[in-house]
Amino acid sequence: MPPREGWLLKHPLRAATPTSGDVAANGVDAVVPAADPGRADLEDVRLTGQGDADAYRRLVERHQDHVARILWRFDRDRGVHEELVQDVFVEAYLSLSQYRGKAPFEHWLTRITTRVGYRYWKQKARQRRAQPFDLQKWEEATGSDGAAQGLESDEAAELLHRVFEQLAPRDRLVLTLRYLEQCDVLETARRTGWTKTMVKVQTMRARNRLRKLLEQSGTEWIE
Amino acid sequence: MKWDQKIERLAAQARRESPPRVDVTCRVLGALTAGPAEPLTVTERLWLCLAAASSAIAVPVAAAAVLLYTRSAQPLHEIAEAISWAIQ
Repeated sequence: MPPREGWLLKHPLRAATPTSGDVAANGVDAVVPAADPGRADLEDVRLTGQGDADAYRRLVERHQDHVARILWRFDRDRGVHEELVQDVFVEAYLSLSQYRGKAPFEHWLTRITTRVGYRYWKQKARQRRAQPFDLQKWEEATGSDGAAQGLESDEAAELLHRVFEQLAPRDRLVLTLRYLEQCDVLETARRTGWTKTMVKVQTMRARNRLRKLLEQSGTEWIE
Repeated sequence: MKWDQKIERLAAQARRESPPRVDVTCRVLGALTAGPAEPLTVTERLWLCLAAASSAIAVPVAAAAVLLYTRSAQPLHEIAEAISWAIQ
């Protein structure tokens, strides 16, 4: 037995069997073709629960681009970004017994991704203060007519990242989800685990702080 | 243009960005394979107990030593003060 699979196989996940009737009840070793990702996910989750490391490998391969896309909003350093993606999949594996298969696996993974990213921001905020934000650069980049058209997509993303970085993690999270991920109130609530009312209140507060930041000093320390 | 419209525009442009591709499959499986830390061997546990016991003894001994030194040094301190007073 290759050593890589040892730990996974020695510690099969308890009760990690999705309840959906779509999962093949028999055929323990059957691998569902990737044509139906939802069904394939459920089957791979079930097999992972039985200690099949290859099944989890398939889950990681199938979803890492999605997770990477979200986490790129949380940190734009490639090394940190890759570590965060890894953390998500390790955490997902350890929580896999809680996945019941009622929602798509990707949705469940998105919530974990948001949690990991938010936790990272909170740790980062405790460790150091954000780099002061240069309002002049903002004005230069966006212009009085708000053009920002000369900017490439990565430059726009970088600028927005720097602006949001000035805010407290909670504000930053809600603005990132609302503006960059285009989540509505319900989706934001689902990803953050907050109530819809809390999302609305938090969005309003975050927008006010962002407005103050952009219109007044141009610098605001993380609380 | 208002600040929120600027943000909206920037966000629209930022959404077009392609994030870098990552492949963490091996790293994830490697981390899971490594699993929890190996349990300590008997020798390591013995050393650990010895170190803990030494620390437990050393702290009160050090406190007692400080007290004893302070008490013993008191007469010397008075003599030194008397000498310095006499010199002045």
